[in-house]
Amino acid sequence: MIQIFFKQGLISGILASIAGVIYMKIYQNALGPDFHKIVNIGTVAGGTIFACMLIGLMSWLLEKFNLQKLKGWFNLFIAILSFASIIYPLSISLPLDIQNPELFPGLVIPMHFFPALAYFTIDPFFNKGN
Amino acid sequence: MFFSAFTFIRSASWKIADGYSIKFSSSDPSGVFTSFRGDIIFDANNLGASKFDVSIDPASINTGNGMKNTKAKSDQYLDVTKYPVIKFTSSKISKTAAGFEAAGTLDMHGVQKQITIPFTFANNTFTGSFTVNRVDYQVGGTTGMASHTATDLKMDISVPVTK
Repeated sequence: MIQIFFKQGLISGILASIAGVIYMKIYQNALGPDFHKIVNIGTVAGGTIFACMLIGLMSWLLEKFNLQKLKGWFNLFIAILSFASIIYPLSISLPLDIQNPELFPGLVIPMHFFPALAYFTIDPFFNKGN
Repeated sequence: MFFSAFTFIRSASWKIADGYSIKFSSSDPSGVFTSFRGDIIFDANNLGASKFDVSIDPASINTGNGMKNTKAKSDQYLDVTKYPVIKFTSSKISKTAAGFEAAGTLDMHGVQKQITIPFTFANNTFTGSFTVNRVDYQVGGTTGMASHTATDLKMDISVPVTK
């Protein structure tokens, strides 16, 4: 069973990475900021795949300990966690050689929602027998 | 006589080169000003004729954090719309054991105060450090949220120059 959650985490991570990279390119082309030292294809892909795999692991733990009835609360928890995580890009100080730090939250905050969005979007495609 | 004086002024005038660094640091905030300009006349052998007339664009502040930048530029702190320039004009430059010091007026946020800036000059670069108390210039308060903002900010300045 864990393979299904692993596969769902990996595929949703890849999809979230693709969405993140596309968004990053559009944002940088539209507004011109250069945050490649902090946000680049590697960090976007690594971060989103890690987040999706983590959601997959937690989903598997729910299944393993027969806690499927808490799935609604789990989804709510992931959504709240995604929302709460935006405090990080709002509060960090970037290296001083990076111009226009005002534009940094606009780049990364939407990406914080991509892992949950991707994981829960493809969830119906993975039959876990419940 | 006139031409010799003119030659002296030309030889003592320096242009601010790229690569200057105007940093400020404290427990919070720290950052840089990225816009610096002005006139520098300096001759170590003729300090009486030397003079600094330089300014910083406070809107060029960068703390690395967008929200802090916005707040720093707002009327709660530097009020860059009303006070678009931070200016230092020297009145006397003298030699010290460690290098030089420039006494003059720092005009910031509509407040003028006399300060002395110690500095060195080597390899065509002016380097200096001094401390500014923001409250002296009525930049921000000391109560509420402003109490978390350090009052003393250490300024570290490095300005390469060319003839």
